[in-house]
Amino acid sequence: MQPNLTRRQAIARTLGLAGAAAMAPSALAASPHRKQLLVLFLSGGASQLETWDPKPGTKFGGPFRAINTSLDGVRIGELLPRTAKIMHRLAVVRSVNSNLPDHEKGHYAIQAGRLAPGYPVLGSAVAKLLEQPGDVLPGYITLRRDGPKAYTDTGDAGFLGAKYEGVRVINGLPPDNLIVPAGINAAALQTRDAVRRAADERFLRTHAKAPINGYGTNFDQARALMQRREIFDLKVESPKDIERYGRHDFGQNCMLARRLLEAGVPCVRVVHFDWDAHQDNFYWHQMRCAEFDRTFVTLLDDLEQRGMLEHTLVVVTGEMGRTPQINNFGGRDHWGRAWSVAMAGCGIKHGVVHGMTNDLGTEVKEDEVGIGDLFHTYLTALGIDSSADYHLNGQTNPVADPAARPIKAVLA
Amino acid sequence: MPVNPTKTKLVIEHKHEVPLMSCVFSPNGKHLLAGGRDSGVVCVEVASGKKTMLTGHESWVGDMARACDDLVLTSDYVGGVIAWDCSGELPALRWKIAAHPSTIRALAVSADGKTFATGDRDGTVRLWQSSNGKRMREFPKNEHPIYGLALHPDGKRIITADRRPQKPTIQVWDIASGKELLKIEVPELSGYRRVEDIEWGGIRSLTLSPDGSLIMACGRAGYDGPASMLLYDIASGKLHRKLSSTLKGFCYSARCHRDGWVMAASGEIAKGEFRAWKSDQDKSLADTATAGPCSALDIHPDSSRFAVTQAIGKSSYPETGVLAIYEWQA
Repeated sequence: MQPNLTRRQAIARTLGLAGAAAMAPSALAASPHRKQLLVLFLSGGASQLETWDPKPGTKFGGPFRAINTSLDGVRIGELLPRTAKIMHRLAVVRSVNSNLPDHEKGHYAIQAGRLAPGYPVLGSAVAKLLEQPGDVLPGYITLRRDGPKAYTDTGDAGFLGAKYEGVRVINGLPPDNLIVPAGINAAALQTRDAVRRAADERFLRTHAKAPINGYGTNFDQARALMQRREIFDLKVESPKDIERYGRHDFGQNCMLARRLLEAGVPCVRVVHFDWDAHQDNFYWHQMRCAEFDRTFVTLLDDLEQRGMLEHTLVVVTGEMGRTPQINNFGGRDHWGRAWSVAMAGCGIKHGVVHGMTNDLGTEVKEDEVGIGDLFHTYLTALGIDSSADYHLNGQTNPVADPAARPIKAVLA
Repeated sequence: MPVNPTKTKLVIEHKHEVPLMSCVFSPNGKHLLAGGRDSGVVCVEVASGKKTMLTGHESWVGDMARACDDLVLTSDYVGGVIAWDCSGELPALRWKIAAHPSTIRALAVSADGKTFATGDRDGTVRLWQSSNGKRMREFPKNEHPIYGLALHPDGKRIITADRRPQKPTIQVWDIASGKELLKIEVPELSGYRRVEDIEWGGIRSLTLSPDGSLIMACGRAGYDGPASMLLYDIASGKLHRKLSSTLKGFCYSARCHRDGWVMAASGEIAKGEFRAWKSDQDKSLADTATAGPCSALDIHPDSSRFAVTQAIGKSSYPETGVLAIYEWQA
């Protein structure tokens, strides 16, 4: 194996080799109180004005109304009617200033909690920081449609290395080659695996250990997924439940996310595409919000009914917000100076709206929050000491930006 | 007496606090109403130029049309329709209905003005009585948003235009039976981009020729192409002519003049135009550039004047609007 072998290559090779030595299903069960993270990533950047922070009747407010929510005195956009009824279960931050009106930079920074390159994104960090002995499934799985937007996957494990890079599940299908090819029997698989391990051991004598061990973990994770490929089979869900989640890619991916969390994956990210409404923002937000609203509430209800919200933090974010100003084509463009994120589940106060933007929604007026503050907050809600350091390869790196702080107002 | 489409003169220009998106003269020609990115309806008395604001909508006023009995119908982004009685000194609210649960994207009135149709973001098309706002019927739901509507002068057919990805589609329906009579796919007006999986283009409005023989679909030729209008023969469904502007943007609305030509309002970033064509010629008869993108136009019932709405602002972000009345000279 080459030391610079990509993770995808490693998985592909592993899946051709592995199988016979798979672990018993009982070994794959999650420990009962493990904290978990679910990120619903609104890729492209949802408009805060059409969602969490409406300004109806103002210059940039757009055509839609604000509606009452289950929280006294708190109103959100009318495009989220179901969400409005569960606002008492959420914490919303209306005062995010990332100041990054750019897809790629925003994607990385909002997920890594800093601007400096090379740090692990939230999913990879959580996979590392919530890791438990005996974990075999990947620590971080991203679910998304087969979208061509490369910036969706920017970042990832950084200096944590390949082991925490995460697995991408495209179009709800398990990673390629999970099924052992016909004609390869268990003995052959064992032999191939032994060859791989022998090659690894030889490499370890002369090369850095971390990448090779990381690839080794990838093989183990792939093997574990092979044993649990039934997780990906949504046909076992009732048609009624499939309908409840919505028969679109976001709905089905959220259902799959629930199944992966149930199986013990520490962090799952679901990407909801196409919020980048440079034209016809209001038409497009009607469509996107309709999908999100129904699926989001269904998912939270299911997680709650199964007792999973007690140990699962749900984060709703994009890489930025959208301009208050409305352009010539009825669109809103990129905006990072005043936008919103939402949270639900463990570790947070429920029924909290933190921060405030000005009357036009152009700037943060109170309790400004930066990307580093959000990162600290997510980790703290998951019971992770965000002031801790990584100690890897003789280097010390802070887990979260030391200049930022958790948002106490939203933490339980 | 015929007017000369090449000779236009600005009569009056009204500035408005927000960009404007629609306009229509009242049936008696006394008033000009306009709507845009706020809930107010601008009302200009044509003779005096006096401007007043009408209230009643709860959201942006997106489309409007004149109906029978001196009524003007206006629709909004949260599904409301208001009928304004324009017989008096000032338009008065005759009735108001919650016509749809989502944004009304298209509004059309029959030739006799007695019925009107509405189409919404969810693909629902409904037919109503103009006099009282009572619903007459609902058509089978389209899977895609309705962005254009027209009622044929024969009173028997309704034409819809939707915004389905890659193949914006015109359909002609028999009102009585609800059956589809004709389907025309219009990929030329698609602005579909795989990278976002969004139909950015689509048909933005429909207009019929006065005799009902031609369907005129306004939009943009491709994702970054010119503002264009495609004319289809309603009998055969075949493309009759493609009329394109030099402006890279959208053709938003068109109106037919009694003298046999058609005029369209178009806009791109921070500029616009109105342009007149004969339906049997590629080359336009006349075009006039405007300071901001033109979003709508209407021709006065006496055919001597017309009104245009614009969005005004520096670069990409218009913040105000203009409602202008022009006249044609002989």
